[in-house]
Amino acid sequence: MSMTMLRVTGLGLVLTVFLMLPFILGDYWIYTVTIGFYYAILAASWALLVGYVGRISFAQTAMAGLGGYVSALSVQHIGLPPVLGLVLGVMVAAMIGFGIGRMTLRLHGAYLGLTTIAFAEILRITATAEYNLTEGSRGLQVAPLLEGGTRVEYYFLFLAITVACLALMTWLLRSRVGLFFQSIREDEDGAASLGVNVTLWKTLAFAISSAFAGLAGGLQAHFVQLITPSMMSLQEMGLVLAMAVIGGFHNVVFAALGGVGLQVSLEALRELGQWRLVVFGLLTVIILRAVPNGIFGFVFDALAKRLVKKGRDE
Amino acid sequence: MSMVAILEQALNGFIVSAFYALAALGLAIIFGVLRIVNFAHGELYMLGGYAYFLAVSALGLPPMLGILVATVALAAIGALVEWLLIRPVYDGRADRPEEYSIMITFALSIFLLNLANSLFGPWPRRPEPLLRGSVELGELIVTGDRLAAAGVALVLIALLLAGLRYTWAGRAVRAVSQNREAAAIFGISVTQVGMLAFALGAALAGTAGALMGPVFNVVPVMGVIPVIKAYVIVVLGGLGSIPGAIIGAIILGQVETFGTILIPDPSRALAYKDAYGLVLLVGILLLRPQGLFGTKERRA
Repeated sequence: MSMTMLRVTGLGLVLTVFLMLPFILGDYWIYTVTIGFYYAILAASWALLVGYVGRISFAQTAMAGLGGYVSALSVQHIGLPPVLGLVLGVMVAAMIGFGIGRMTLRLHGAYLGLTTIAFAEILRITATAEYNLTEGSRGLQVAPLLEGGTRVEYYFLFLAITVACLALMTWLLRSRVGLFFQSIREDEDGAASLGVNVTLWKTLAFAISSAFAGLAGGLQAHFVQLITPSMMSLQEMGLVLAMAVIGGFHNVVFAALGGVGLQVSLEALRELGQWRLVVFGLLTVIILRAVPNGIFGFVFDALAKRLVKKGRDE
Repeated sequence: MSMVAILEQALNGFIVSAFYALAALGLAIIFGVLRIVNFAHGELYMLGGYAYFLAVSALGLPPMLGILVATVALAAIGALVEWLLIRPVYDGRADRPEEYSIMITFALSIFLLNLANSLFGPWPRRPEPLLRGSVELGELIVTGDRLAAAGVALVLIALLLAGLRYTWAGRAVRAVSQNREAAAIFGISVTQVGMLAFALGAALAGTAGALMGPVFNVVPVMGVIPVIKAYVIVVLGGLGSIPGAIIGAIILGQVETFGTILIPDPSRALAYKDAYGLVLLVGILLLRPQGLFGTKERRA
């Protein structure tokens, strides 16, 4: 079995499980996994930026909230159909992401982290303060994406979009662009000296990552039919970070699996109350410290290593 | 607006600045020595508030002793965190040290926040303050708890500055901040100074939390907003610069106090109060990333 075979088998297995789930699970769990798809896209979009380009951002959930608010408000006030609202939300998130990427070109590491925290908090505070428009912290009612859609219909729609997003990200990251991204992560000056347009790709990476986050936020808003500024809070950002880190943030698919996995486990362990968040917080710290590739990354590497060894023995 | 009202606002601004400075100095010292921004600083501040609450309300210690307990407890926690989680940043065990340092401290903050939520519950607690009632300074009236807490904060800041200037350990901290390699060549244990800096930074955050806890409330989320202010301050003054952190705190205290008066709609003005500093932060980072007093760094 080659590495490609391992990847294809793994992906096929995961996809089969997700395709069968709605026929096994009850309504409540279908709903939970659907929310998990929102986190999957969000965690993957964050991993795209942090894991591949090495640009840290704490504004990912703020971008999701922005996409959600833009879509919800355009449907409410301009009367766009929700699908076009989603598109508008994605475009605005991409534009703001482009702007942030452009402005923060000179910044690195912790400076970038602080700037993105500031952007995220400014967005959240604005959404809370402009209550005439957004209903503030009480939350804004949002039109449903599918008029009279059932849970199962939403589930398959979200599954399809998540798979499409991950396929798009993987295609992008495996193309030349992905190599540009990784070269920027490893050595920016080196990449620039070899002719990589560092300025362009750093900016575009922010825009692309924000666009995916905006899409996730719009979907979530039209599915739950309510959006509140707490969606943009740093605590939510912490949750997304935990998901990507636990899954493995050096691979968009692993990060996405971390998103669904953590969301489902959080619901499954509801009896533990607040303690489940303590457990996952601790798990995130331990994984960062001891298994930087995340759980799925670790398992995949272990399987791959066995394969290589077996190949050598034969 | 009358002169007295303006003076009152300015005094309030200075009191707030004293608290901010205490929290921000810890960040500045940690950044100076270890070159990392501690994203868990707000949660160390929160733990200081709870240490004070436990000492004063549960054990019945006098408030002054409660502050001491918080300082010592947080110094110990800081040293432990440095040993367990921060050390890989500079001993080569982390693949991408800067990324690791940001994510590990951010993850630690989530863990500590949820831990406090589970252990102590989300309810606000109000431990006994240092001083009750209010104090009149000429025509100005200030509440006693704020004034006493600000006074203690100022004394501590003065002690800290003197310690950094005149003691051997303080000199070692400054030496490592200025040049790591040179300090190591002159026989300073960079590892020990790193641990000392993190413990000191955590202790300062804890003390600030213990002083502020009775003035506002002790709740698990109490560190979230002050730490963002501390980021604004250290960025304003230049990351790692100690005088910069003090001047940054004074500027932010005044900007916030007077900025609130600028927006006529009072409820909106209150909602936007926390955003002023953030706009300042973004502006400084984009226009002058080294801050007012920091030194320029170029690295890819």
